[in-house]
This record gives sequence, C-alpha cells and structure tokens, in this order.
Amino acid sequence: MKNSKKWIAAVLAAIMVLTLGMTGCSPKEEKVLNIFTWADYFPADILEEFTQETGIKVNYSTFESNEEMLMKLESGGEYDLVLASDYIIDIARGENLLAKLDKEQIPNFANIDPGFQGKFYDEENEYTVPYAAGIPLIIYNPEMTDLDIKGYEDLWDSSLADSIVIMDDARNVIGITLKTMGESFNVTDAAVLEQAKEKLLQLKPNIRALDYSTPYNLMISGETAVGYMFTSQIITCLNENPNLKVVYPEEGLGFGIDSCFVPETAPHKDNAFAFLNFILDGERSARISDQIFYISCNTAAADYLENKVLSISSEMIEGAEFIKDVGEATEIYDSIWSEFKLN
Amino acid sequence: MKKQKLPSTHVSCQGACAARLPFILWTMVFVAIPLLYILCMSFMKKAATWGILAEFSLDSYQKLFDPVYVKVFGQSMWLAFLTTVFTLLIGYPFAYFTSKLPPKWRSLVLLLIIVPFWTNSLVRIYGWMILLRSQGVINSLLIMLGIIDSPLKLLYNFGAVLVGMVYALIPFMILSVYNSIAKLDPALVEASRDLGASRWRAFWTVTVPMTRAGIMAGCVLVFIPSVGLFFVSDLLGGAKTMLLGNLIKNELLTARNWPMGAALSIVMMTMTMIVIGIYKKVSGEKSLEGIV
Repeated sequence: MKNSKKWIAAVLAAIMVLTLGMTGCSPKEEKVLNIFTWADYFPADILEEFTQETGIKVNYSTFESNEEMLMKLESGGEYDLVLASDYIIDIARGENLLAKLDKEQIPNFANIDPGFQGKFYDEENEYTVPYAAGIPLIIYNPEMTDLDIKGYEDLWDSSLADSIVIMDDARNVIGITLKTMGESFNVTDAAVLEQAKEKLLQLKPNIRALDYSTPYNLMISGETAVGYMFTSQIITCLNENPNLKVVYPEEGLGFGIDSCFVPETAPHKDNAFAFLNFILDGERSARISDQIFYISCNTAAADYLENKVLSISSEMIEGAEFIKDVGEATEIYDSIWSEFKLN
Repeated sequence: MKKQKLPSTHVSCQGACAARLPFILWTMVFVAIPLLYILCMSFMKKAATWGILAEFSLDSYQKLFDPVYVKVFGQSMWLAFLTTVFTLLIGYPFAYFTSKLPPKWRSLVLLLIIVPFWTNSLVRIYGWMILLRSQGVINSLLIMLGIIDSPLKLLYNFGAVLVGMVYALIPFMILSVYNSIAKLDPALVEASRDLGASRWRAFWTVTVPMTRAGIMAGCVLVFIPSVGLFFVSDLLGGAKTMLLGNLIKNELLTARNWPMGAALSIVMMTMTMIVIGIYKKVSGEKSLEGIV
C-alpha cells in the first residue's frame, strides 16, 4: 500500500480528535473531584490545600472556550464542577444540564456579595456560585497619545491610526460600537446592527491588532498606545507600567460574571459542594482574587484582599450591562465581525 | 499501540483478508464515519441557541456565495499562492546548492532544516514576534546603528504573515526538491554541457524538468497547509485577516453555526482534493508517492 503512511497519519489525527472528548472521564472513586474550566483559573495552591484538608483528589480538565465546554458537557463528559461564563450557563440551564446546589452543605454561601447574585442566568440563586467578575476597560499610554480619553467614542479619533489593540471578540467590540450610538450591548434589531457595522468599519484603520488572550503584551512593549481589554489584563499592564491610565468609559460598562455550577450528571456532587464551601471562605477567596486579578464577588474577602481595587461596591456596577446570548442575531454579529476583519 | 483498543474479530477470514480487517475497521470508525458525519451535518440547520436541527437544508451552501465568504476564500488562496511562490523561489536554490555540498556538510545542513521541527511551531512564531516588534531585535539594532529614528511597524501586517508562513512551511519545499535533485543523474547535465549548452540552458532544460516531480510535491505540501495555518495570521497579522481556518473555527465556536462550519470544511477538503488531482495530472504520478 503506497499511501498507507498518509492513511495512518489521518487515522491517528482522527483518534487524537476523538480522544480529546474523553479526557474528562475518570474512574468512579469516592474521593475524587473532576473540575472543568479554563487553564489556571483555579490557583494551584488552593487545589492542593483542598486535597490536603479533605483527601479528595482533584482532576483538573480544561477548555478553551465556553462553547467547547458546553459541547463536551452535552456529549456526556463527567464533570463534578464547571466554571464558565454567564451567558453559556444560561444556555446550559435551558438545556437542563444544571443541578440545584445543596446549600446546607455550603454554609459559606452567605459570604457572596448580593450585588453579584440574582442575575439573568440564575434569578433564584439555585444553581450557581459567582467566582469572578470582569469589566472590559480602556487603558492608554499618555506618552504615546495627547488624547484625554474618556470613552469608547475616542477610539475612533483619527490621531490613533494603527495604534489600538482591541479584544478579538465580536460581541464586545460590536457592543462598544453600539454603546457609542446610545444603544445596548445586546441589540438584536438588524437595522441598528447594520448602522453599527458601518461605524465599526471606520474603526479599522486605527486597529493595530486584535488579541483576546494577551493584549497586555502590546501595551507593555509600547507597540500600541491604546487598549481595550478585560480587568485582569488591565491589572497586568499596570503592574508592568504604572504610568498607563485606565478609563471607565463614560458610555457605560460591559460586564460579565464567571460562575461555578454542578452538572446534573456529576458523579461526585457532594465533593463539589464541599469544594464550593471551601473556596467561598473569605481568606481563601481573597487569595484566589489576588492571583487571578478578577473582581471579587465575596464580601468576606474584602478585608483580606491585597489588591483592594478588586473589591468594588455593588453601586459601581449598577449601570453595567451584561452581554447576553442574542439568539438568532448571533449570526449577524458574526458576519459583521468577519466583514470587519476582511475590510 | 492504538490498535490494541480494537475488539478482536471472530470473523473467519484467511490470510491477507484477516490481516487487513482491523485496518479497514479502524479506517471506517475513525476516518469514514467522522467524514460522513461532517457531510451530513453540513446539510442540516442551526438551532436557535444551541446545537443543530435534523432538517435537510441547503442554507449553509447558499451562504458560501455571500461576498464575505467569497472574500475569505480569495484571501486564503492569495496568501497560500504567495507562500508557495516564495517558498519555491527560496527553497529551490537552497536545495540545489545543498545537494552540491560535500556529503558531510550536506547532512549537517539537512539536519539544521529538520531540527526546528522538534520545537512547536507556535513557539517559533513567537520568536518572530520578538524579532519584529517595535522594541524588538531588528528595530533596536537599526536604531542603534542610526539607520532609522523611530521604530518601523514590522509586525501586524500582511508582510509579517507572509514571512511567518514562508518560514513555517519552507522545510517541506526544501526537502521535497532536495530529494528529486539528489536523485538526478549528474551525467545528464554533463551530457548537455558536452553538447554545448550553457550552464543556464542546461539548468532550465535538464535539471528543472527532471526535478519537476519534487517541485510539484513541494508546492502541494506547502499550499495545502497554508490554507489552514490560522495561528500565523492571528499572531503575526494581529488577527486582522481572516483565513479559511479562522472562519471554520469561528463558525464552530463563536457563531455556534455547526452546519456552516461543516460546509466550509467540506469545501476545503474538496479544494484539497482538486489540488492533489492537478498535481497527479501535471506530474504524471499515479500514486501520491512523491508527497507521502
């Protein structure tokens, strides 16, 4: 067989793809907790401490995106605890994949800041524990621009040609365009979106790069004068260069909460509840926030936090708007995004 | 190793047939069925929030003619074409002169081409970012030498993407061309020289046609992956361009339009088969031996 090598390569590739979906499976032992979230989102020292105190072994599986998580959860992946974003939890709840929390096993549930509770994906606080909140903000380097940036609208300024790094995310970037037009982040009206597209295309000459996961590199290395990125990335920028200025855009903030939930199919639900109670402890929760640089959702953590900026009052986020699932309009957003990139 | 996972077969079958059965089963389960699954999915509909509806629909294929998607195809093809041309222009002379080196040096040069493959290509692309960025190696050097005053914008443009693509794929071209040049009988070139051909004429009329199979194989090996190497455009181009690979990833993960992603994959596979078909026709190779 002359082309057998090619076949073997193709078959091996197929096996690799198929086995990817199986990594979450584990033997059904008693003292095991299967966690499923982004890489490094739960700090390693917290996980080790949990194992030491309870004897429960933690298996940490990772995903790259919320959508990948839901795909694996639906195809039968056995996870005990999932940490993901608000909108996808809303979809997962609609698919009946979430188990109700047994709050008797989670006495520290009372530590949660009510400002982060009762949100659209879990109005009765039955299924989720908020873990971290993020608000994308603008950051700029006053040495590289004379502009006094106040909001999203300033990103369109012609003096910023080829000098902005913006997150590679359709919903957020189209969202801020809508905000400059006085609209909501979650517009579904095709005509309004069409206008937003026209406006967004005018932003392209100012964009130096689109980057979802490491935009801080471009701000720190002086590649770009202005950036629009998540809170944690803003803090990374500030740690490297304290002269950078942070802007809370005047048009209104976008907002997201990553929360933990226990899947209906979880083999070790009690272990998951024990873990949730463990991380909701004030001191530990503060240690987590100080490592992941996201806003804390825990009132008991406030006193222990080293980065005080991570504890914000509920009033500050009052006007912030969730980026929700827009159903059918997702396609319009995506097609605008493709056009924006191709322009 | 993976073969052990398969259930043993109890079918009574003799000799060659029995030996082939696990392989056929394996191919069916891991290649044919997934491909069929993708093909079926491409004819279905996207559900409102999540998943697919099992209804027949040609929506995805109709959408392929949307100007946005046509443009993505165009951009991908153009980049793949340029990448192929540049790898050939650089790779051919490189392979040619390598084959003329003394054996000891020749193996060293070939080793040096292969060694970077031991490192993840993503890491090597990050290396290029360090070279090209505003405060990177090249700009610092040029400023230090007084050639430029302010840093050049070398990163996050089409040129940087092209450099990265050529860099990532050139070993395929060099190794394929080198193979066919090494096989070439030097007596043929000598004969043409004896008959009065100039060096150039001998090269164009003897060496190049005799190594056509290697050139074609190299072109196919460079062209096909360059349609899908989306991380190069994401990292060096600042994600400002959209290639076929990016688009498929986007449709599957961000837009959650799986049928569309499937349809795009089908089109991409069809295109790959066309390219291989052209290769077979032009090179006269019956099998894919030149490539594999």
